[in-house]
Formats: sequence, structure tokens, C-alpha cells
Amino acid sequence: MNMKRAIPQSDHANGPAGTSPDQGILVLHEVTKRFGGRVVLDGLSLAIERGKTTVIIGPSGCGKTVLIKHMVVLLRPTSGQVYFKGRRIDDLGERSLEPVRTHFGFLFQGGALFDSLTVAENILFPWLQHSAPGDGREMQELVKGKLAMVGLDGFQNSYPANLSGGQRKRVALARAIAMNPEVILYDEPTTGLDPIRADIINELVLKLQRELAVTSVVVTHDMKSAYKVGDRIVMLHNGRIIADGDADYIRSHPHPMVQQFINGRIGEDDLAVLRMNGSVPPAQYAPGDFQPGHP
Amino acid sequence: MVMGLWPWAQEVVRDIGRFAGFVWASILASVAGCGTKGVYPLIWTQMNIIGVRSVPVIMVTGAFVGMTLAVQAYDQLAGMGLEEHLGVLINISVVKELGPVLAAVMLAGRIGGALTAELGTMNVTEQIDAVRSMGIDPVRHLVVPRVWACLLLTPVLIIYADLMGVIGGAVVSFAYLGINSRAYWNFSAYGVELWDVGVGVVKGFFFGAAIATISCYKGFTCREGAQGVGQACTEAFVSSFISILAIDFALAMIFKAVYLTFWPLKGLVG
Repeated sequence: MNMKRAIPQSDHANGPAGTSPDQGILVLHEVTKRFGGRVVLDGLSLAIERGKTTVIIGPSGCGKTVLIKHMVVLLRPTSGQVYFKGRRIDDLGERSLEPVRTHFGFLFQGGALFDSLTVAENILFPWLQHSAPGDGREMQELVKGKLAMVGLDGFQNSYPANLSGGQRKRVALARAIAMNPEVILYDEPTTGLDPIRADIINELVLKLQRELAVTSVVVTHDMKSAYKVGDRIVMLHNGRIIADGDADYIRSHPHPMVQQFINGRIGEDDLAVLRMNGSVPPAQYAPGDFQPGHP
Repeated sequence: MVMGLWPWAQEVVRDIGRFAGFVWASILASVAGCGTKGVYPLIWTQMNIIGVRSVPVIMVTGAFVGMTLAVQAYDQLAGMGLEEHLGVLINISVVKELGPVLAAVMLAGRIGGALTAELGTMNVTEQIDAVRSMGIDPVRHLVVPRVWACLLLTPVLIIYADLMGVIGGAVVSFAYLGINSRAYWNFSAYGVELWDVGVGVVKGFFFGAAIATISCYKGFTCREGAQGVGQACTEAFVSSFISILAIDFALAMIFKAVYLTFWPLKGLVG
């Protein structure tokens, strides 16, 4: 399937020009975030399409997690705006944000499960806070259904400390979908997992997309995962978007940083620094390696 | 030198402002939380952790305070032939000052450190962000139950410390120092008023609120990593300790003024 027709391809430094609040279910408009003197997001604009999976890639420290936390206003922009379904949300108070946030599910990098609660209690936690407590049977059914979706039915009474890394991520995913969210945000869902467990998470992302028709935003630096789950891939570098398109478009993108990242190769600058320390042999690739279309 | 202190002073003022904002948010959430059923089981759980499990250590603290006071004060009073007044000195010191302050310091170490470590770990492992991302106010869910539990149970724990301090002082006075028990209790009853006991217990509400809010704040704002959590625990204890002493001084001034103004009038209404 050629996604180039469906998704705007962009080489704009800051993403699609002229982002408007109703351009997508979730829109970031000229968002800048500074921590002290350090600019992490630099006037970034991004519109997330409803029902699609948008993958945000980029090297560690480029601002991916900061960006995804802006989407649910866990961080507030230094300047710029965030819109959800056409409504500006970055200027809302914490109390006004509470109902907005129930439309989101957030899978944190480490799972962020509550250690003192069982798996079932973790999954019920958001539900009990927002809904009138139902009878025990109804709650058991809810937990069973969510755990079955992630393939962990039977683990209801386990504690997070007794689960493997992959199982914790899956329980965290079950908790993220407990409130039937419209948007699921995944922060590095496959980081720290072996390739098989990582692929299970990828399949779950696709399954939830298929069965729940949710909008997904996945932050990752795992290119295999990005190609597998992403309808659209956005690459960040120095707090700006340097590439935006489908997997084919990204694969053949001419920007050296994009090629360097997707092929997992060290940059000339970094190499020069290492060579100065005498720990790395001379370069083993030709200058033309970073041209578009190079495998 | 002075210019070098400027950034530090700015940071201190900013930190005080952030803490004031946190306290205000806690007060608002506490008031709002009173009307919700879900908060009471959380308060009950915290009361068990904070209160019930602290009883043994608080009782031991109180007992040793009373026993040590008896040993230390005896020689001074005996030198003046006033050893039978030892009970007044021990009991008024225990119920009004040393019992409440030392019990609160012990709680700051035991509870404050645990609260900061727990919330700090939740902070660095993104559990607090997870609560927020679910549309739940973390202050209402995590801070309010802890503050209420500390606020309500610190005075009760102080009563335990007072009781054990009184018993400890009496045991040492009778068994080791050989003081006449009848005279000891008679002088104590004459010298220690209900007001003195009440002052010590009322201090507990302020100490409990200070320990809980400071410890929760330090947990919520701790820096990343094990070092960040450790540093937050240290800061929480030091800040709680200084706050307890400062609150104790302020309350001593206030209660003294109130006592001198109103307590003599009790005979008119009683």
C-alpha cells in the first residue's frame, strides 16, 4: 500500500506548515519547550491523524518523550499550543484536564505499574477512580477482558515485581486501555525487551489499532518496530521535525541524519571525536553512503 | 560574596513558593476529598501504616524520655531537698514539651523518610505521571490520605509517648531513686494542669501536618535516580526537624499568651 497519497510528505524543518487545530485529532502548533537554557522542542508543529498510527523516531535525547508528554499535557509548552479534537488543552488547569485525559491511554517506558497493587488492581485503578464501583463480577469481567486482549489472562493476582519486563509492559498496556481511550500514547514500548517480546508488543499495537480503532502515537528508536506498526513516521532531530512520511519515504529520505539513524550508523562528528581518543579505526564507509535510495 | 548568594537566595524563594503552592493544592484537595467516598479507605490504609506501626517506637521513645529526665533532674532537686517535686518536673516536661517534640522527631524519621522514599520512587519511575495521565489528581490520591493520617494520628501517638514518659519517669523515681510515690503523684497532680496536656496534644496536629506536607513535597519534587531519592529523604528529615522546632517555638509563644489571658478566667465559667 502506498501511503504517500494519504499522508502529507514533508521536508519542512518544523513539520507541516500552517497546522490548524482541526487538522487532526491531536495537534501541536509551533510548540517550543525549554528546560533552563536548553531548547528541547523548537517551534514544532505536528497533526496526528485520527485512526492512524504515527511513529515518532529520533536519537536518544532528541525530545521524543518530551513531545509525547506534551500531547497529554504532562508537560506544558514554553510557547505554542496543543489541541485535542479542536479544543486547546495546554492552557487548561489540572482539574479541567482530568476529563480530557480520560480520552488517552499512556504506556510509559518502564510500565509505571503501581508496585503495591496486584495486576487486577492496577487495571481497575483508573476505572474505579472515574466510574461508580460495579459489582465484583462486573469488575472481574473487565479485568479478564483487558488481560485477555494482551494475552495475560490468569495473572490477575500477581504483583508487578513478579512479572517479566515484557509482561509488565503488557499489563501496563491493559491498564492503558482500561478506560477505552480514543488515543493511545506509547513511550518506547519495545525498549529493554528481547526481539521476540518486542515483536509481541508490536503485534499488540497492531491488534489494538485493528480491534479498537484507536489513534496511536508511538515513540521509539526501534526501526523494526517503527516500520511494522507505523502508518506514518516522523523523525525528530534537535527538537525539530526533519522527515515526515510513510516507511518508504523515510527509507529513501536524503537527509544524512535520517539515513544515519535508520541504518544505525555513527555520524562523522561522533566518529571524529572517538578517533581523537584513538579507540576507533578509520571510517569503513564511503562518502556516498548517505545518498537517497542507498540501502 | 553577596553576589554569589543571589542565585541561592532566588532558588530558596522559588522553592518556598513551590512548597506554598503544593500546600495550597493539598488543602484544596483535602477539602474536596472530604466529600468523596473513595478517599476514606485510602486514609484508613495510611493510618494503619503511619499510626499503628509507629506505636511501639513512639512508646519506647516516650519511656526513655521520662526515665532519663528522672535520673538527670534528681540530683538538682535533692540538693535543695525538693526531690518529692520530681514528678512535677518530669511530667510537665514530658507532656508539654519533650514528649510531643521527640515523638514528632521520631515520626519525622520513621514516617517522613518512608513517605518521601515511596513518593520519590513513584516520581522517578513515572508512577505519578501515570496517575496524572489517567485524569486523576495525584495530590488528591497520594498526598491527601497521607496528610490526613499524619494530622489525625500524631496527636494520638503523642498521648502514647506522654503516657509512657510519665510511667517511665515514675518507675525510675520509685524503684531506683526511692521517692515516696504518694508525694510524687500529689505534687504532680498539683503542678500539671489539663492545659499542659492539651498544649502538647494540640501541637501534634501542627507537627503531623508539617511532617506529611514536607515529606510528600520532597517526594513529589525529588530528582531522578537513587541519589535523588536519597537526597530527598535527607532534605525531608532535616526540613521536618527544623519545622518541628520552629512550630514548637511559635506555639509556645502563642499558647503562653493565650494561657495568661484566658486560663485565669476558667474559675468564672467553671
